[in-house]
Amino acid sequence: MLSFATVRERWHSFAGGFVVLFLGMALVSMSVLALASARPRVPDRLAGAPVFVSAPRAERAEGSFAPDRPWSPETVTSLLGRLSAIPGVAQAVPERTFYAQPILDGRPVPSERGYAWSTAMLAPYRLIAGTAPRNGEVVVDRSLGLAPGTRVSVLTAPGPVTYTVSGTVDGPGVFLDDAEAASLSAGVRAIGLVVEPGANVAAIAKSATVISAATEEISATTEDKAGTPSEGSVSGQEPAFAGSPTADATMPPTSVTPSQKVGDVLTGDDRSVLESRDDERTRWIGMQVLTGMFVLSALVSVLVVGSTFAVGVAQRRREFGLLRAVGATPRQVRAMVYGEALVVGVAATAAGVAAGALLAPMLGGVLVDVGFEPAGFTVGLSLLPLAGSFAGGVVLTLVAVWSASRRAARVSPLEALREADVDNRPMPRLRWITGLALCALGVASAVSSDSEGAFVMSGLVAAVGVIAGLALLSPVVVPPVARLASWPFTRGRGAVGMLVRENARSSVRRTAATATPVLVTVGCAVLITGMVQTTAAGFAAVRATTIRANAVIVPDGTPGLTDASGGDSSLFSAVFEANGDPLSVLGATPELLEKAGDTSGPLDVLRPDDRILLADWLAEERGLRPGAVLPVSFEDGTSARLTVAGTVENADADALVSRDLLRRHDPAVLADEAYVVGAAADPGPGARVVDVATYAAEADAEEDRLVWIATLLLVVVSTAYAAVAIVNTMVMSAAGRGRDLEVLRLSGATPRQVRGTVAAESGLVVLLGAGLGLVVALPALFGIRGAFAEAMNAEVPLVIPWPFIGGLIAVCLVLAAGSAVLAATTKVGH
Amino acid sequence: MGGSASLDAMKVHLKAVRRTYGMVAALDGVTAGFEAGTLTAIMGPSGSGKSTLLHCAAGLDRPTEGTVIVDGTDLGTLNEHGLTVLRRERIGFVFQAFNLVSALTAEQNVALPLRLAGRPAAPASVRQALAEVGLADRAGHRPNGLSGGEQQRVAIARALITRPAVVFADEPTGQLDSETSRQVLGMLRGLVDDHGQTMIVVTHDPVTASYADRVIFLEDGRIVDELSGALTAETVAARMAGSC
Repeated sequence: MLSFATVRERWHSFAGGFVVLFLGMALVSMSVLALASARPRVPDRLAGAPVFVSAPRAERAEGSFAPDRPWSPETVTSLLGRLSAIPGVAQAVPERTFYAQPILDGRPVPSERGYAWSTAMLAPYRLIAGTAPRNGEVVVDRSLGLAPGTRVSVLTAPGPVTYTVSGTVDGPGVFLDDAEAASLSAGVRAIGLVVEPGANVAAIAKSATVISAATEEISATTEDKAGTPSEGSVSGQEPAFAGSPTADATMPPTSVTPSQKVGDVLTGDDRSVLESRDDERTRWIGMQVLTGMFVLSALVSVLVVGSTFAVGVAQRRREFGLLRAVGATPRQVRAMVYGEALVVGVAATAAGVAAGALLAPMLGGVLVDVGFEPAGFTVGLSLLPLAGSFAGGVVLTLVAVWSASRRAARVSPLEALREADVDNRPMPRLRWITGLALCALGVASAVSSDSEGAFVMSGLVAAVGVIAGLALLSPVVVPPVARLASWPFTRGRGAVGMLVRENARSSVRRTAATATPVLVTVGCAVLITGMVQTTAAGFAAVRATTIRANAVIVPDGTPGLTDASGGDSSLFSAVFEANGDPLSVLGATPELLEKAGDTSGPLDVLRPDDRILLADWLAEERGLRPGAVLPVSFEDGTSARLTVAGTVENADADALVSRDLLRRHDPAVLADEAYVVGAAADPGPGARVVDVATYAAEADAEEDRLVWIATLLLVVVSTAYAAVAIVNTMVMSAAGRGRDLEVLRLSGATPRQVRGTVAAESGLVVLLGAGLGLVVALPALFGIRGAFAEAMNAEVPLVIPWPFIGGLIAVCLVLAAGSAVLAATTKVGH
Repeated sequence: MGGSASLDAMKVHLKAVRRTYGMVAALDGVTAGFEAGTLTAIMGPSGSGKSTLLHCAAGLDRPTEGTVIVDGTDLGTLNEHGLTVLRRERIGFVFQAFNLVSALTAEQNVALPLRLAGRPAAPASVRQALAEVGLADRAGHRPNGLSGGEQQRVAIARALITRPAVVFADEPTGQLDSETSRQVLGMLRGLVDDHGQTMIVVTHDPVTASYADRVIFLEDGRIVDELSGALTAETVAARMAGSC
């Protein structure tokens, strides 16, 4: 009864908590819904085949998107023959995709995937006009507006090729005839089974499982097939290592024939694992961002709701005292506070979750646009995440008021007899201890470790520790700082200056409650945005110093450069060890490595085809010495035995091979950039030439953009909370100091002077918080930059987005002054 | 209610009560008995210890030394919970101001002690209590819809709802105009006369004190004087002036 009545009657002191919980739970439920919806989907273009057989998926570390090993060409042929023989299977179609980007009006079109024509039936996509492609012909998406018979230039990995459009389809992409597609594609990793109408899919899947479990296929990828010519590319390598004495020692055949299957059979939703690695990566990034948003929202909700209730309890000490005097036990007082929290929590959480459910579909679109979810992602509504968010929100509220309820219960009945609320209660001991401990942790972290690699971490810990510690100690730290900061006010003769100064000093709790959210927000914003931008600038600076070329060719509207773009480029791809583990590999030339990067070692051995250079740490870890033989298979599924020719330092991949070798075995990969010495020739469509400085600044632009958006999102969310906390403190404290202002009016202050006092006071407190935040964050940033520069051995500029930070402080100022004046006006108005 | 001043007839009894705050003794060995069915006023200048005496006698605060017995119970033997229950069951309070929980109606405020005790608050008895203070028609109003005098009367009704052994009032008319004060004080006097209610009032106002059967004067934590019999504001004021 009392809790309900109190919330109804004193709604203004719960409004802040309500708003914060509402916002927080809307964000939480949206994030949870999006996370629940962010499952892999069956790609549209494969949706028409009910059964797939895919190459076995390797176990991968969290956040690693290394590819799985494709089948060897022989395995593909054998599988295709046996799978298509299953009764009811109309056709077994190997999935072949590759880079193909038509050029219209001199610009590459956005869609950049090419497919073998036979894969169109996996969707199925149908011909809208014209005929299937033959050699030299192409079928395109009808939305490109190309009629059959037109000629179109298409960018492929080797370079632009002109095709004749033979037909159009109702699906995205470019379709080439199967033979031509095979020459542009990497190895096959999945085979789709197109079934006859009315066929028994379960029976087909069962037969496919039997076939893909067949043990004789295992050997196809191992030693005895190594070097088997595939499309004539790898022949002639066998003799090179025939006499190698270490061959048997490094590669015992037994270790590569575990009882692994040839493939996994996928049906129904399981086919979603066939989504592209890029989509998978995008979803993974989205998951990080959404989880971050979720955790941040929940955490800040707890803190702000907790402090809202704490302020409310502090203002109502007399009421609690009265209750205690007329016979409420501490337990009853506590239950009352919990009851109030429950009323607010249930209402706010229900509203927040409902709002989250309404807004979630829009969030889906935003996430796709920004690049945190793959195209086609939608947020679906499901009960469990919503119910979970609701329950979580209510529990969160109760956790948040734990401390406030304890304080309320400790109010002595004597408080009922207090004349006025004097704001001089000491800080609880636990808060002292925690605050000091956090500050100590921060300082210790700043002073101690300077070891390489950990510098960013220790800088972060230092700053966050001190910020959190100061936030806790704010009732002690803020007043003396306020006295210092308000020194100028004492010089004038006006009453406002004196009032501002004395109010800010004496109402410890209000001052601290306003300064703290500003401190935390400004401190964290400066720290995080400054760190992100400084790091990006640092990497750009390092890149600029390690490029020894006159110009760089970079992709322009394309995912990468074709071989025809010119310049010296490397190819970044993967090779697979005998057990299927991927190694990142760089296909490079000594000339290229001269021009860019810090890689050092016997680079000249990259000229012959059968050599591999290993990163020093990898060679050491595996105990591979020069001369050892490493059997690997490539992206196209073929295998080779490469001789370890030495080790390299500072390589950008696990291993280096010659560019020619890698290109023969990976017809699909594109170069990221190419270096030009002297004057650059026209790179053709889909590429442009930039100078080194521009390249250095732009190189990671896409990744930087995602990181920056995620950073802004976090900062904006936390600023919104700070804003709510500030407005809330202002409104609540105005309610509590109505009498003060009345007295001020009675002693001759004009309404204008009252407003001026209130505005100046809140402004002073906000600036104080901002100043403290800067004082903590800036040294930490300088430290991080210094350590970073030392580690990178380059000049790293300190980049802080001042306009952004300035805007943030301005928002806090306007909100604090505005809400304080407004609240004061309504108090004194009548 | 017998006329004898035996210990048994004492609703509240303080024996050598000392209460110190740090080095300062707010009460310095006070012994006093408060007879059933009487109205006693405790007077004294600011800082004389009269509020502390009320706190100790009512179980809001614990004496540093000495014994307080309320309705036969030694408060020193009770823990915090026991004290709370005793306040709820045996003691009523009327404070100077802010007597009521602002979120609750007059009726709900009156019922509060019963509800806190987990006892059913019969609407009839709550209405009856409000009627006794002349506020039967204001039952549904919240405190901010009531005048200062009405608020004090609601507080009196609440203090009486549990039929307490003793009612403590701390400057009950401190925030009221003289006309309203007279009404409230008349009401308190009536409760003592008609219902035999025991009442202890702390005040510095001679008019308030003149409604009492007995006035105890406090100074520097000690009882320095006592008045009883027919009292008028003038005699009380004269005695006050004399004792200062």
